[in-house]
Amino acid sequence: MAQAERKLKELKAAQLKHEVGARRELVVTLNSRSEPRLISYGDDFLVAKLPPGTRVIYPPPPLEPLPDPDVAIRYALLHPENADPLFAQLSPNMRVTIAIDDISLPLPPMQRPDLRERMLNIVLQMLADYGVDDVHLIIATSLHRRMTEDEVRRMVGERVFKAYWPDRLYNFDAENRAELTMLGKTDHGEEVWLSKRAAESDLLIYLNINLVPMDGGHKSVAVGLAPYRSLRHHHNPATLRDSHSYMDPTRSGLHRSADRMGRIVNRNVNVFTIETAINNRMYGGLLDFLHKNEDRFSDWDRARLGTFKWTLRNVSDGLRREMLRRYAAPYGMTGVWAGETEAVHDKALARVFQQYAVPVKGQSDILIVGVPYICPYNVNSIMNPVLVQCTGLGYLFNMYRNKPLVRAGGTLIICHPLRDEFHPEHHPSYIEFFHRCLAETNDSVELERNFEAEFARNPTYVHMYRYGHAYHGVHPFYMWYWGEPGRQHLGRIIAAGCEDPEVAARMGWEAADTLDQAIAMATSELGRSASVTYLHLPPLVIADVE
Amino acid sequence: MSVQKNRFRAAAFYDLDGTLVDVNLLHVTAYMLANVAEWKGRLANVAALALRLPRIYAAERHDRRLLNVTIFGIFRGISRDRLFLLGEEYCERVLMQHFYAQAVDLMAGNREAGLEPILVTGSPDFVVAALARRIGVETFAANRLAYSRNLASGRLREPIIAGEEKARWCEEYAARRGLRLSDCWGYADSYYDLPFLTALGHPVAVNPDRRLLATARDRQWPIIRFAKTRAPAPAWPYNGES
Repeated sequence: MAQAERKLKELKAAQLKHEVGARRELVVTLNSRSEPRLISYGDDFLVAKLPPGTRVIYPPPPLEPLPDPDVAIRYALLHPENADPLFAQLSPNMRVTIAIDDISLPLPPMQRPDLRERMLNIVLQMLADYGVDDVHLIIATSLHRRMTEDEVRRMVGERVFKAYWPDRLYNFDAENRAELTMLGKTDHGEEVWLSKRAAESDLLIYLNINLVPMDGGHKSVAVGLAPYRSLRHHHNPATLRDSHSYMDPTRSGLHRSADRMGRIVNRNVNVFTIETAINNRMYGGLLDFLHKNEDRFSDWDRARLGTFKWTLRNVSDGLRREMLRRYAAPYGMTGVWAGETEAVHDKALARVFQQYAVPVKGQSDILIVGVPYICPYNVNSIMNPVLVQCTGLGYLFNMYRNKPLVRAGGTLIICHPLRDEFHPEHHPSYIEFFHRCLAETNDSVELERNFEAEFARNPTYVHMYRYGHAYHGVHPFYMWYWGEPGRQHLGRIIAAGCEDPEVAARMGWEAADTLDQAIAMATSELGRSASVTYLHLPPLVIADVE
Repeated sequence: MSVQKNRFRAAAFYDLDGTLVDVNLLHVTAYMLANVAEWKGRLANVAALALRLPRIYAAERHDRRLLNVTIFGIFRGISRDRLFLLGEEYCERVLMQHFYAQAVDLMAGNREAGLEPILVTGSPDFVVAALARRIGVETFAANRLAYSRNLASGRLREPIIAGEEKARWCEEYAARRGLRLSDCWGYADSYYDLPFLTALGHPVAVNPDRRLLATARDRQWPIIRFAKTRAPAPAWPYNGES
């Protein structure tokens, strides 16, 4: 077994606690001499001087990756959790389906070879060795857009692509009613629908990448291979309001529902889960300064930052977007586990928290977050205002365990230009949602009651989802609901650096031209006593708020 | 204007050529002329069409209305009965085979969603009537030839369904039926259909030409592309009389 893997396995709970405790230095309080901070701002970065006393939470440094991921994957398949080794479950003439996470993670997309390619090469070789040839590979897109041919090729690698695309490697289609089957209902009345091919397989293998603790577990199969009729049971305002937070599965209504449904799946289907954890090395090489505390920048870091900023400022919008899209992250795999879904997920979760968790004392009045150019739903696309809302209010607000970083009734400042820009082929229903539905109300319950079913069944959106590369018609509603816990908790939301105040107003936010102005607006009620926290991204961090 | 009761909550207006079927007006015309008479007449008709091609091309480049006028002039002297008979034949042998399978699904879905299907096309009524009957569409707007003593005069009757006239027809229809255009959907493939699409609350560019594609992207309209697979006859949900 790889040395790093062995070392991590040997870490006892007490040591882990100590390790996390040592991360208190990742919470920095600024003074008047502190350097300006880098803040994600769409396709750009702000370099802003934050008020003295501001608490900045930095992500932990990347965990050491396993030196040989292929060996670690093979080891996991041979030593699974609560299950027989994969080879022992194989026999000729059996029907096997392999489901794979889609392009929505990791973010940014990882350098090649993608972990999914590594896992597929090993698993497919093992299947071939045991005479299994009825194998289908389904990309578990659920209601996400279909991945393009090039995206699939990049993800699974040339060898697998040539052998399986398009007949035996394809995107899941949640609107192909003939290819869906209902497995049962949970004790909460939730209908569990699943891909028929997966449900009728002798073995369903799920290949996962855990970017954040929200991913993986029962959410992989029970959501990734399920249609609207299943997803509506947990992707709704009531369930999401009961999630505190999405990054803490033990306190998430969303995860409780997905777990109930997943258990029904596992009772009916032989599921073999493979989960991987990756470190948070989002930016490497010339961009590794993005991970650093700005007070510790060297001259070389400042020179790189200046050049980076100059480049982003002086190229056209299209070129800037293209440059960022083409960037691939040098993530490293920090762990891999295989076997029974829940046992595997517990192990993966522990490793993911080990990477991201930072202890933080107490909440603050104001939380500042910067929304970057990318989120799970705009890979190779445009970050539209609904997605900014989902990223800022949904994901970044939820980067906590125990309590939110900002107090109830506090203010969230979201840094993003917030332009009225959409990708008409990827997000067609978002456009109507934003311009028609949000013009009437931004109350999630009303939106759900008045519009959701119409959008979910809209034939044009269904067509664009099935045959084009559009997100499902109902997807903007889910993105809006995603912000529901944040909306319920916060008193004010201010878009800093907002270029189009009408966009902010439509979402019920206030707009400020600059971050300074936004902070002044937020502190206007509380005066100088207001406490401010800035969640430093990239990469990702999860605050364990005491 | 009296408002008629409607069992649908709104309408879906479809252009035909290039949108629902992968043939165009020139194809219909060529088929008609090649089948309208005995061999000698057929050759003469096709030759006449060939001679008109430069004019047709010029009209196509500039004005869809002019294109219709230029093409329909070729039918001069053909009897009304013969045209409608050929329309049926063309529909059965050609048009139904060229109907996009995915368009069938879309129309069925829209109907289920409470949208009345309506064809709004520059194609001749003797073809569109036959098609509408086969696909269960009760209402259509198509170009109509003027006849004298049962023979086509070669002129079109007003309104000529092209460009802005398509939009006007939809507005009048919606008013008659008490529908709000903002609730209606429109599907078209050509930049010349821009006035038609902009008149409706939900414009959709289908297999758009280069200029319509640019406009649709600019205006953030949905863009859909039907695959070249044709609708197999059994898949058609409204086969037969409506």
